[in-house]
Amino acid sequence: MSHSDVALGGHHAPAMEPSPFAIPAIKLAMWLFIISDIMTFAACLVAYGFLRNATPNWPRPYHSSTIISVLVMTVILVTSSLIMLMAVRAARAGDRAAAFRWTMVTYAAGLLFVILHIREWFGMIGQGVTLTKNPWGTGLFGGAYFSVTGMELLHVIAALIALLVIGFGYKRGRYGAAHIENCHLFWQFINIVWMFVVPLVYLMDIAS
Amino acid sequence: MSTAAEQGGLGKYIVVYICMLAITGIEVVIASSNPGGAHLLPIMLILAFAGALLGVLFFMGLAAEKRSLIIGVAVFTLFVLATINYGWTDSFRVLMGAPYAK
Repeated sequence: MSHSDVALGGHHAPAMEPSPFAIPAIKLAMWLFIISDIMTFAACLVAYGFLRNATPNWPRPYHSSTIISVLVMTVILVTSSLIMLMAVRAARAGDRAAAFRWTMVTYAAGLLFVILHIREWFGMIGQGVTLTKNPWGTGLFGGAYFSVTGMELLHVIAALIALLVIGFGYKRGRYGAAHIENCHLFWQFINIVWMFVVPLVYLMDIAS
Repeated sequence: MSTAAEQGGLGKYIVVYICMLAITGIEVVIASSNPGGAHLLPIMLILAFAGALLGVLFFMGLAAEKRSLIIGVAVFTLFVLATINYGWTDSFRVLMGAPYAK
Protein backbone atom coordinates (compact mmCIF):
# COMPACT_ATOMS: atom_id res chain seq x y z
CA MET A 1 0.00 0.00 0.00
CA SER A 2 1.52 3.30 -1.05
CA HIS A 3 1.66 6.41 1.07
CA SER A 4 -1.20 7.97 -0.96
CA ASP A 5 -3.33 4.85 -0.45
CA VAL A 6 -2.83 5.14 3.28
CA ALA A 7 -3.81 8.79 3.11
CA LEU A 8 -6.96 7.92 1.21
CA GLY A 9 -7.85 5.07 3.55
CA GLY A 10 -6.74 2.10 1.43
CA HIS A 11 -7.96 0.70 -1.90
CA HIS A 12 -11.49 -0.10 -0.81
CA ALA A 13 -12.15 2.81 1.49
CA PRO A 14 -13.87 5.96 0.20
CA ALA A 15 -11.45 8.67 -0.83
CA MET A 16 -13.26 11.31 1.17
CA GLU A 17 -15.49 11.49 4.18
CA PRO A 18 -19.16 11.11 3.27
CA SER A 19 -21.24 14.30 3.31
CA PRO A 20 -22.85 14.80 6.73
CA PHE A 21 -26.10 15.73 4.98
CA ALA A 22 -25.96 12.84 2.45
CA ILE A 23 -26.39 15.19 -0.50
CA PRO A 24 -23.95 16.05 -3.30
CA ALA A 25 -21.53 18.90 -2.65
CA ILE A 26 -23.09 21.04 -5.42
CA LYS A 27 -26.51 20.78 -3.76
CA LEU A 28 -25.09 21.45 -0.31
CA ALA A 29 -23.42 24.58 -1.71
CA MET A 30 -26.78 25.78 -3.06
CA TRP A 31 -28.46 25.13 0.29
CA LEU A 32 -25.72 27.11 2.05
CA PHE A 33 -26.17 29.95 -0.45
CA ILE A 34 -29.94 29.91 0.10
CA ILE A 35 -29.45 29.96 3.88
CA SER A 36 -27.20 33.01 3.55
CA ASP A 37 -29.71 34.63 1.19
CA ILE A 38 -32.46 34.07 3.78
CA MET A 39 -30.42 36.37 6.00
CA THR A 40 -30.27 39.04 3.27
CA PHE A 41 -34.02 38.98 2.63
CA ALA A 42 -34.88 38.75 6.32
CA ALA A 43 -32.74 41.84 6.95
CA CYS A 44 -34.44 43.70 4.07
CA LEU A 45 -37.94 42.79 5.19
CA VAL A 46 -37.29 43.56 8.85
CA ALA A 47 -35.73 46.90 7.86
CA TYR A 48 -38.85 47.61 5.79
CA GLY A 49 -41.05 46.64 8.74
CA PHE A 50 -38.96 48.76 11.10
CA LEU A 51 -39.33 51.85 8.89
CA ARG A 52 -43.03 51.23 8.37
CA ASN A 53 -43.64 50.76 12.06
CA ALA A 54 -41.54 53.71 13.19
CA THR A 55 -42.92 56.17 10.61
CA PRO A 56 -46.21 57.89 11.41
CA ASN A 57 -48.60 58.22 8.45
CA TRP A 58 -46.92 55.50 6.39
CA PRO A 59 -48.72 55.68 3.01
CA ARG A 60 -51.22 53.05 1.91
CA PRO A 61 -51.10 53.54 -1.84
CA TYR A 62 -52.23 50.15 -3.19
CA HIS A 63 -55.63 50.04 -4.87
CA SER A 64 -57.45 47.02 -6.27
CA SER A 65 -55.65 47.27 -9.64
CA THR A 66 -52.26 46.83 -7.93
CA ILE A 67 -53.53 43.96 -5.77
CA ILE A 68 -54.95 42.16 -8.82
CA SER A 69 -51.62 42.64 -10.60
CA VAL A 70 -49.73 41.25 -7.59
CA LEU A 71 -52.14 38.32 -7.41
CA VAL A 72 -51.51 37.53 -11.09
CA MET A 73 -47.75 37.76 -10.49
CA THR A 74 -48.10 35.34 -7.56
CA VAL A 75 -50.06 32.85 -9.65
CA ILE A 76 -47.39 33.05 -12.37
CA LEU A 77 -44.54 32.53 -9.90
CA VAL A 78 -46.16 29.64 -8.00
CA THR A 79 -47.14 27.99 -11.29
CA SER A 80 -43.59 28.36 -12.57
CA SER A 81 -42.38 26.62 -9.39
CA LEU A 82 -44.57 23.62 -10.18
CA ILE A 83 -43.33 23.63 -13.78
CA MET A 84 -39.69 23.77 -12.61
CA LEU A 85 -40.39 20.77 -10.42
CA MET A 86 -41.47 18.90 -13.56
CA ALA A 87 -38.19 19.91 -15.23
CA VAL A 88 -36.24 18.37 -12.33
CA ARG A 89 -38.25 15.16 -12.48
CA ALA A 90 -37.63 14.90 -16.22
CA ALA A 91 -33.91 15.63 -15.76
CA ARG A 92 -33.60 12.96 -13.07
CA ALA A 93 -35.39 10.50 -15.34
CA GLY A 94 -32.82 11.30 -18.05
CA ASP A 95 -35.35 12.89 -20.39
CA ARG A 96 -33.23 15.79 -21.65
CA ALA A 97 -35.80 17.09 -24.15
CA ALA A 98 -38.60 17.29 -21.58
CA ALA A 99 -36.31 18.79 -18.93
CA PHE A 100 -35.16 21.47 -21.36
CA ARG A 101 -38.74 22.17 -22.44
CA TRP A 102 -40.01 22.57 -18.86
CA THR A 103 -37.00 24.71 -17.96
CA MET A 104 -37.79 27.04 -20.86
CA VAL A 105 -41.48 27.20 -19.88
CA THR A 106 -40.32 28.21 -16.39
CA TYR A 107 -38.07 30.81 -18.01
CA ALA A 108 -41.01 32.22 -19.99
CA ALA A 109 -43.14 32.42 -16.85
CA GLY A 110 -40.31 34.14 -15.00
CA LEU A 111 -39.88 36.61 -17.85
CA LEU A 112 -43.60 37.41 -17.68
CA PHE A 113 -43.25 37.97 -13.93
CA VAL A 114 -40.36 40.38 -14.54
CA ILE A 115 -42.36 42.31 -17.17
CA LEU A 116 -45.33 42.65 -14.80
CA HIS A 117 -43.02 43.65 -11.97
CA ILE A 118 -41.37 46.38 -14.06
CA ARG A 119 -44.83 47.53 -15.19
CA GLU A 120 -45.76 47.79 -11.51
CA TRP A 121 -42.65 49.85 -10.87
CA PHE A 122 -43.44 52.20 -13.75
CA GLY A 123 -46.94 52.61 -12.31
CA MET A 124 -45.43 53.70 -8.99
CA ILE A 125 -42.90 55.98 -10.69
CA GLY A 126 -45.77 57.45 -12.72
CA GLN A 127 -47.49 58.37 -9.45
CA GLY A 128 -44.37 60.29 -8.44
CA VAL A 129 -42.66 57.69 -6.24
CA THR A 130 -38.85 57.84 -6.27
CA LEU A 131 -36.19 56.59 -3.89
CA THR A 132 -36.34 59.78 -1.85
CA LYS A 133 -39.84 61.20 -2.27
CA ASN A 134 -43.46 60.33 -2.97
CA PRO A 135 -46.73 62.26 -3.20
CA TRP A 136 -48.02 60.92 0.11
CA GLY A 137 -45.56 62.47 2.53
CA THR A 138 -42.93 60.30 4.13
CA GLY A 139 -39.89 60.07 1.88
CA LEU A 140 -38.78 56.71 3.26
CA PHE A 141 -41.58 54.84 1.54
CA GLY A 142 -40.08 54.91 -1.98
CA GLY A 143 -36.64 53.80 -0.87
CA ALA A 144 -38.06 50.97 1.25
CA TYR A 145 -40.47 49.84 -1.48
CA PHE A 146 -37.90 49.85 -4.29
CA SER A 147 -35.25 48.18 -2.08
CA VAL A 148 -37.37 45.19 -1.09
CA THR A 149 -39.10 44.65 -4.43
CA GLY A 150 -35.85 45.46 -6.28
CA MET A 151 -34.00 42.78 -4.32
CA GLU A 152 -36.69 40.27 -5.33
CA LEU A 153 -36.58 41.44 -8.95
CA LEU A 154 -32.78 41.20 -8.99
CA HIS A 155 -32.97 37.61 -7.78
CA VAL A 156 -35.58 36.69 -10.40
CA ILE A 157 -33.43 38.19 -13.18
CA ALA A 158 -30.34 36.33 -11.86
CA ALA A 159 -32.36 33.10 -11.77
CA LEU A 160 -33.58 33.70 -15.33
CA ILE A 161 -29.98 34.06 -16.54
CA ALA A 162 -29.08 30.86 -14.66
CA LEU A 163 -32.08 29.03 -16.18
CA LEU A 164 -31.05 30.09 -19.67
CA VAL A 165 -27.38 29.12 -19.26
CA ILE A 166 -28.05 25.84 -17.43
CA GLY A 167 -31.03 24.95 -19.65
CA PHE A 168 -29.10 25.27 -22.90
CA GLY A 169 -25.99 23.73 -21.32
CA TYR A 170 -28.05 20.77 -20.18
CA LYS A 171 -29.54 20.36 -23.64
CA ARG A 172 -26.03 20.24 -25.15
CA GLY A 173 -24.90 17.75 -22.50
CA ARG A 174 -22.55 20.16 -20.78
CA TYR A 175 -24.51 20.11 -17.52
CA GLY A 176 -26.29 17.31 -15.68
CA ALA A 177 -29.46 16.80 -13.69
CA ALA A 178 -27.74 18.12 -10.55
CA HIS A 179 -27.34 21.52 -12.20
CA ILE A 180 -31.02 21.64 -13.16
CA GLU A 181 -31.89 20.68 -9.60
CA ASN A 182 -29.73 23.51 -8.25
CA CYS A 183 -31.52 26.01 -10.51
CA HIS A 184 -34.78 24.53 -9.28
CA LEU A 185 -33.80 25.09 -5.62
CA PHE A 186 -32.94 28.72 -6.31
CA TRP A 187 -36.17 29.25 -8.24
CA GLN A 188 -38.23 27.76 -5.42
CA PHE A 189 -36.43 30.00 -2.95
CA ILE A 190 -37.42 33.09 -4.95
CA ASN A 191 -41.02 31.89 -4.93
CA ILE A 192 -40.91 31.46 -1.15
CA VAL A 193 -39.48 34.94 -0.63
CA TRP A 194 -42.32 36.35 -2.75
CA MET A 195 -44.76 34.69 -0.34
CA PHE A 196 -43.44 37.11 2.30
CA VAL A 197 -43.06 40.18 0.05
CA VAL A 198 -46.73 40.12 -1.04
CA PRO A 199 -48.34 40.33 2.41
CA LEU A 200 -45.70 42.51 4.09
CA VAL A 201 -45.15 45.06 1.33
CA TYR A 202 -48.43 45.10 -0.61
CA LEU A 203 -51.29 43.65 1.44
CA MET A 204 -50.42 45.49 4.65
CA ASP A 205 -50.79 48.81 2.83
CA ILE A 206 -54.02 48.47 0.87
CA ALA A 207 -55.74 51.85 0.54
CA SER A 208 -58.80 52.07 2.79
CA MET B 1 -35.98 15.17 -3.83
CA SER B 2 -35.87 11.45 -3.23
CA THR B 3 -36.12 8.79 -5.90
CA ALA B 4 -39.28 7.47 -4.28
CA ALA B 5 -40.87 10.88 -4.55
CA GLU B 6 -39.98 11.07 -8.23
CA GLN B 7 -41.59 7.75 -8.98
CA GLY B 8 -44.93 8.95 -7.62
CA GLY B 9 -47.29 11.21 -9.52
CA LEU B 10 -47.60 14.93 -9.35
CA GLY B 11 -50.72 14.74 -7.12
CA LYS B 12 -48.97 15.75 -3.91
CA TYR B 13 -47.31 18.72 -5.60
CA ILE B 14 -50.55 19.89 -7.18
CA VAL B 15 -52.19 19.85 -3.73
CA VAL B 16 -49.30 21.93 -2.37
CA TYR B 17 -49.61 24.28 -5.37
CA ILE B 18 -53.33 24.78 -4.74
CA CYS B 19 -52.71 25.30 -1.01
CA MET B 20 -50.08 27.98 -1.73
CA LEU B 21 -52.45 29.81 -4.07
CA ALA B 22 -55.29 29.45 -1.56
CA ILE B 23 -53.11 30.94 1.19
CA THR B 24 -52.38 33.96 -1.03
CA GLY B 25 -56.11 34.25 -1.79
CA ILE B 26 -56.96 34.16 1.92
CA GLU B 27 -54.33 36.84 2.59
CA VAL B 28 -55.85 39.09 -0.07
CA VAL B 29 -59.39 38.60 1.27
CA ILE B 30 -58.35 39.31 4.88
CA ALA B 31 -56.24 42.35 3.95
CA SER B 32 -58.92 43.78 1.62
CA SER B 33 -61.76 43.36 4.12
CA ASN B 34 -59.77 44.87 6.98
CA PRO B 35 -57.23 47.36 5.55
CA GLY B 36 -54.82 48.66 8.16
CA GLY B 37 -56.28 46.40 10.85
CA ALA B 38 -54.46 46.12 14.17
CA HIS B 39 -54.00 42.35 14.00
CA LEU B 40 -53.21 42.21 10.30
CA LEU B 41 -49.43 41.73 10.68
CA PRO B 42 -49.49 38.53 12.81
CA ILE B 43 -52.17 37.00 10.59
CA MET B 44 -50.21 37.85 7.43
CA LEU B 45 -46.98 36.48 8.93
CA ILE B 46 -48.62 33.21 10.03
CA LEU B 47 -50.12 32.69 6.57
CA ALA B 48 -46.84 33.61 4.85
CA PHE B 49 -44.95 31.14 7.05
CA ALA B 50 -47.51 28.43 6.25
CA GLY B 51 -47.06 29.01 2.51
CA ALA B 52 -43.28 29.16 2.82
CA LEU B 53 -43.20 25.96 4.88
CA LEU B 54 -45.17 24.11 2.19
CA GLY B 55 -42.78 25.44 -0.45
CA VAL B 56 -39.63 24.49 1.45
CA LEU B 57 -40.82 21.03 2.49
CA PHE B 58 -42.38 19.89 -0.78
CA PHE B 59 -41.32 22.11 -3.69
CA MET B 60 -37.74 22.37 -2.47
CA GLY B 61 -37.88 18.75 -1.36
CA LEU B 62 -36.54 19.33 2.15
CA ALA B 63 -39.07 16.87 3.60
CA ALA B 64 -37.40 14.07 1.61
CA GLU B 65 -33.86 14.98 2.64
CA LYS B 66 -31.79 13.53 5.49
CA ARG B 67 -32.85 14.66 8.95
CA SER B 68 -29.51 16.38 9.62
CA LEU B 69 -30.07 18.76 6.68
CA ILE B 70 -33.65 19.51 7.78
CA ILE B 71 -32.47 20.28 11.32
CA GLY B 72 -29.53 22.33 10.03
CA VAL B 73 -31.73 24.52 7.81
CA ALA B 74 -34.46 24.85 10.46
CA VAL B 75 -32.10 25.76 13.30
CA PHE B 76 -30.22 28.34 11.23
CA THR B 77 -33.39 29.93 9.82
CA LEU B 78 -35.07 30.13 13.23
CA PHE B 79 -31.88 31.58 14.73
CA VAL B 80 -31.74 34.28 12.04
CA LEU B 81 -35.42 35.13 12.42
CA ALA B 82 -35.21 35.20 16.22
CA THR B 83 -32.14 37.43 16.36
CA ILE B 84 -33.27 39.77 13.61
CA ASN B 85 -36.51 40.51 15.45
CA TYR B 86 -34.50 42.15 18.20
CA GLY B 87 -35.03 45.47 16.44
CA TRP B 88 -38.82 45.60 16.62
CA THR B 89 -39.06 47.03 20.11
CA ASP B 90 -36.75 49.84 19.09
CA SER B 91 -39.03 50.74 16.17
CA PHE B 92 -41.88 51.25 18.67
CA ARG B 93 -39.56 53.46 20.74
CA VAL B 94 -38.89 55.60 17.68
CA LEU B 95 -42.63 55.84 16.97
CA MET B 96 -43.51 56.85 20.53
CA GLY B 97 -40.55 59.19 20.83
CA ALA B 98 -39.62 57.54 24.12
CA PRO B 99 -36.08 57.98 25.42
CA TYR B 100 -33.61 55.12 25.68
CA ALA B 101 -33.86 53.01 28.83
CA LYS B 102 -31.31 54.01 31.48
